[in-house]
Order: sequence, then structure tokens, then C-alpha cells
Amino acid sequence: MFLSIENSDRLLWLGRYSERVYTGLRSFAEKFDSITDSADYESKYDFVKNFCFDEKNPSSIRSSLLRAYDNAIVLRDEIGSETFSYVQLALYEINKAEKSKTLMLNLLKVIDNIVAFWGMADDRIQDEHARGLIKLGKRIERVDLYARMNASDEDIKREISRLTYRITKTGLRYNSDNLEKLKALANEEKINHSEVISAVENLIELNS
Amino acid sequence: MLADGLYKHADSVNELLARYGVKFGIYKNGEFKEQLFPFDIIPRVISAEDFNFLERGLKQRVKALNEFIRDIYSKRQIIKDKVIAEEFIYSGSGYLVQCDGVTPPKNIYAHISGIDLVQGKNKNWYILEDNLRIPSGASYPMIARDLCRKGVPEMFEENRIEDNRNYAELLRKTMEYVNTGGLSVILTPGRFNAAYFEHSYLAEQTGAHLVTCDDLTVENENLYFIDYSGKKEKVGAVYRRISDEYLDPVNFYRESLIGIPHIFDIYRKGNVALINAPGNGVADDKGIYYFVPAMIKYYLGEEPILQNAPTYLPYYEDDMKYVLENFDKLVLKDVAEAGGYGVVFANKLSKQEKENFITLLKSEPRRFIAQEVIDFLDLDIYEDGQPVPRKADLRAFVLMADEPVVWKSGLTRFSRNPDSFIVNSSQGGGFKDTWVLKSK
Repeated sequence: MFLSIENSDRLLWLGRYSERVYTGLRSFAEKFDSITDSADYESKYDFVKNFCFDEKNPSSIRSSLLRAYDNAIVLRDEIGSETFSYVQLALYEINKAEKSKTLMLNLLKVIDNIVAFWGMADDRIQDEHARGLIKLGKRIERVDLYARMNASDEDIKREISRLTYRITKTGLRYNSDNLEKLKALANEEKINHSEVISAVENLIELNS
Repeated sequence: MLADGLYKHADSVNELLARYGVKFGIYKNGEFKEQLFPFDIIPRVISAEDFNFLERGLKQRVKALNEFIRDIYSKRQIIKDKVIAEEFIYSGSGYLVQCDGVTPPKNIYAHISGIDLVQGKNKNWYILEDNLRIPSGASYPMIARDLCRKGVPEMFEENRIEDNRNYAELLRKTMEYVNTGGLSVILTPGRFNAAYFEHSYLAEQTGAHLVTCDDLTVENENLYFIDYSGKKEKVGAVYRRISDEYLDPVNFYRESLIGIPHIFDIYRKGNVALINAPGNGVADDKGIYYFVPAMIKYYLGEEPILQNAPTYLPYYEDDMKYVLENFDKLVLKDVAEAGGYGVVFANKLSKQEKENFITLLKSEPRRFIAQEVIDFLDLDIYEDGQPVPRKADLRAFVLMADEPVVWKSGLTRFSRNPDSFIVNSSQGGGFKDTWVLKSK
């Protein structure tokens, strides 16, 4: 199997954006209950609209999903139509969610489709390297997001451990100094979030 | 009717088509949009007997067209023998001087031909157009069939229908037959091309790599695919879905930002196959269409099996006279346009428009052909729970390896507008599957 530089990059980013949708929505689902009790309807409505659906906000769930779709649609021959279809379905679900009166139920379907996409990718993509790139993108994004979202030190340490295991399996060129730095950060008693972010963002040398 | 039970499942099948992203791209007001290609569940059904007739006629036509292209870029005997006036060759935009003297691998020019036909109310089939550059559309009935078989398997158990999902295998054979050694790839201009779904789906189904121009490079007189680690792999066949003029900025359109510099040079040396061959536009010009029956007689010594729609070339005095005398009942087509554009039904013009058009016709007679309006056989489509008749055509695909093979299916396109003859997807048309019945 021959994989172009461009497609390697896309596979990695497909993993990253799909993870961004998943973790973003999981976190939103956890907070949704407390938002429900908020008295300020306007700010609550604005938050949901901005966080979930605003295409102009590059950090919104819809923007991340659209970027995942942009990568998936040009990878049909690498990942297959079946795997691609779950990203397409997730996009349909978020469009439905925006108009729905049962917002959270529709958003849960977006999560379902992202999880199905990962499962299908793992099961159906024959090329180990292509498969590994999606998983690696997912692991990088998970560490990055957890550090940015001030997740517990325990969670971040666990995700760094999963990332270091994954990266050595891909055969991809990576910055070994930054990997060692990440491992060292994970061994410290208190996690330094900004250093984790800096190390993980400079881990891959795909186009070098 | 054979497919009576299908309509109950129309929504389910359309849902599946949406799930798999069966779309086409369209530019509206300078903005790119992806749209689902409307699918009608009622198939066009062609009997085995009818298909056998079409198959013989289509093979004959494509063989003659292939001979014509070879002749034009080599001896030009057909011009010397005055079967076709040279004005029709050299004044068309499809003729490429760069292709003079170039012989493609195995002498095949028209590897994949999309021939548009209609069936008249008299049940006769007429050829409307020959598409020999980069005809698109095979992927749509292919995936629709696959999804219909999943959704309504009993329909396929009860009816003896030729399986059309072998298109990928036919395409793979077509590429392999002319491959000069190395990978077979499908070259796409990218995601913002109208037919991008087709490019990616055919790559998935054939196992060929889908590549963009940046993935390919010419070195040491060969074409290479560069992988992520910098490793180069030789490419022997390129099914390119990019127009001739954008294929190679060194040899064709110099301002092009896409293309692979020098790919045409190594093609000329026989080091890579380009599918379809550059320069094929010389044979699918609407003006050249008029001469195809004469080509068949000239190159093959046979009578044409399939008929053209009655066509007139205003370039010739007698034809101009006929066109002017019968103007209101004709359809006029600009030979430089495609996709259903540049088509004028004379009876729809106002008095002033008619006068303007006739003035234009007289000043640029080579630019237009005129045809009798064929009263197409309507096909039913399902709309708001009811079958309603609509105009429809058929794009048949002929793939050429050692012998031409006619795919036992085709893209049936229909107009969604009850008053329109224009079936093109870019103008709102939809598509149907085409069932070819097996012989009893």
C-alpha cells in the first residue's frame, strides 16, 4: 500500500478532528445537566449555539466535524465507503440536532457515529499504517484536549501513556526529544499543562 | 411491471445513498456546493434482445471513432478521401496539434466512451452524443444497484437482471491492458470537481490509487508516485479525470496551476498510458457527430447499426437552406458547449430572439448543428407518491481493452421538469438504474 504525504497528513487530522468532536461532546454532555438549571436563558442558548453549531467558531463541534468530513471525503479510497459513511451520518445528525427539541438525544447520536467510525476504521482499513495514523491522531488530540481542559492529572498521565505506546507502533517520524519530555512530564507529581501542550503539539514531523 | 414492488422502498434507498455521500458538486454564484444526486427508484428496463442490438451498434461506433482519431493524428486519409471536410477537424477546439504523430499504447484512444442515446416513441434508439474525453456517470448506477440489492433483495431474486457491479472489474482490465509497467492510478483535480464522488468511488472499487497532480512527478522519462516516506513507485497507467488543457502545463495550458509537467512528453514516448488519450475531443465535437455514420462505412465497410438523430450542418448550403425553412421545429446546439448548455429549442424563442439567432447562425455556421426534435419515450419517475412521465436519456459505457465491451447497464438521466428535455445533473436532472435483462 502506497500512501501519499498528503493522505498521511489527512489521516492524522481525521483522527484529531474526530477526537475533538467526541471529547468536546462528551464534555458538553456532562455539563449539560448543570446548564439546564441555569436561570439565564439567553446566555445558555448562546453558549449551546456557539459551542455546538457555530460554523464561524473554529472550536465549535460543527466546525470540528466539518473538518473531519473534509478529510474523510478525500480518503474514501483509503478508508472505504463504509467507514466514511459514519462521518457523513454524524454530520447529518448534528444538522438535525440544531433543529431538534431533543438536542441532547441527537447529539448523542453524533457521538454514536464517531465511535462507530473508529470501530469501522479499526476493523475495515486493511493498511496498518493508515489505520495507525487515525489512532495516533486521536491519541495526540486526546492529550492536547485534556491538558487544555484541565482534566485530572491521573487522566492526562493515562492518555500520555497510551500516546507513547501508539506512536512507537506507527513507524512515523516523530520528535523523540518531545516524546521523552512528555514521558518525563507524566512522571512528575503535578502535571504542567502548558508544557504538555507544547510537547504534544510538536511531536509529529510528518512533512519534514 | 417488473419493478412494481420497488417504489415502497424509495425513501430507504435514498437514505442509503445519502449515507454513502453519493453527491455531485456544482458551482452556484461562484460558490461550490455538494448536492445529492436525485435517484428515482423505478429502473429503466432493457430487454436482452434490445441490449444485443445496442451492444452491436455501440461496439461498431466506438471502433470507428477509435479508427478516426488514429487516422486524424497520423495519415489523415479520411480528409484526403474527402469524406470529412478538413474545416471540421482543425477549427474545432478538440483537435490538438501536440497529438500529431503520437501513438498511444496498444493504439487505443477511446478507452472509456460514454455514448448518449434516446429511445423515441417509435421505439427506435438514436445516438445523441459521443463522449470520448472523460465521460462520467458509471459510479451512480453501480452504487445504486448495490444499495437496492441490499434494500430489496427479493426484486433481484425474482427478476433475471444482469449484475452491473462488474464495472470496476472492466475498468481495472481496461487500465491494466494498456499499462506500460507500474501502478494504475486515477488522477483527480480534487474534491471541488463536480464528479469527485465518482473519482473516489471508482478508486475504492478498482483498488487503483486516487492521486492528485502533487502526488506524481516525471523523472528520468518515467512517471512516479511519491509516498509519504519519499519512496517513488513507477506509474504505468493514469486514468485521468482532468481535461487535456490542464494535464501538462509545459505542453498545454501554460497558466494552469494544476497538471504534471512533462507527463505528455513521456506519454509521447510510450512510457505511460493516459486514459482516455489526449486529443480525443476531435471526435466528440458535435459537428463531427454528423459524420460518424460515414466514418463507420469508411473505416469498417459496414452499414451503421445505430442511427444518429437527423442532423443538419448549417455550414453546408443545402443544410442551411433546410434549417432556415424549418427553423421552428428544430433544436440548435452550440458545438463548443456541453452539459446541456448552448441548447436552443427554436419554438421557444421570441420573434426578436429568433431573428438574432438566425443572424448569429448565418455569421457563424460552423458553430452550430441543428437537429430534429426527437419525441423521446417518456419514462415514469416516482413523484409525490405517484408515477409521472418524464424525458430521459441513456448514457451507455463502452470500455476498450483487446476488444470493446459494452457495460450491461448504463446511466439513465431524467428531467425533473415535466416540460424539459434537458436531463443533465448540473441542470437539476436525476438518475435511474438501468436494468439489462438476461436472455431466457
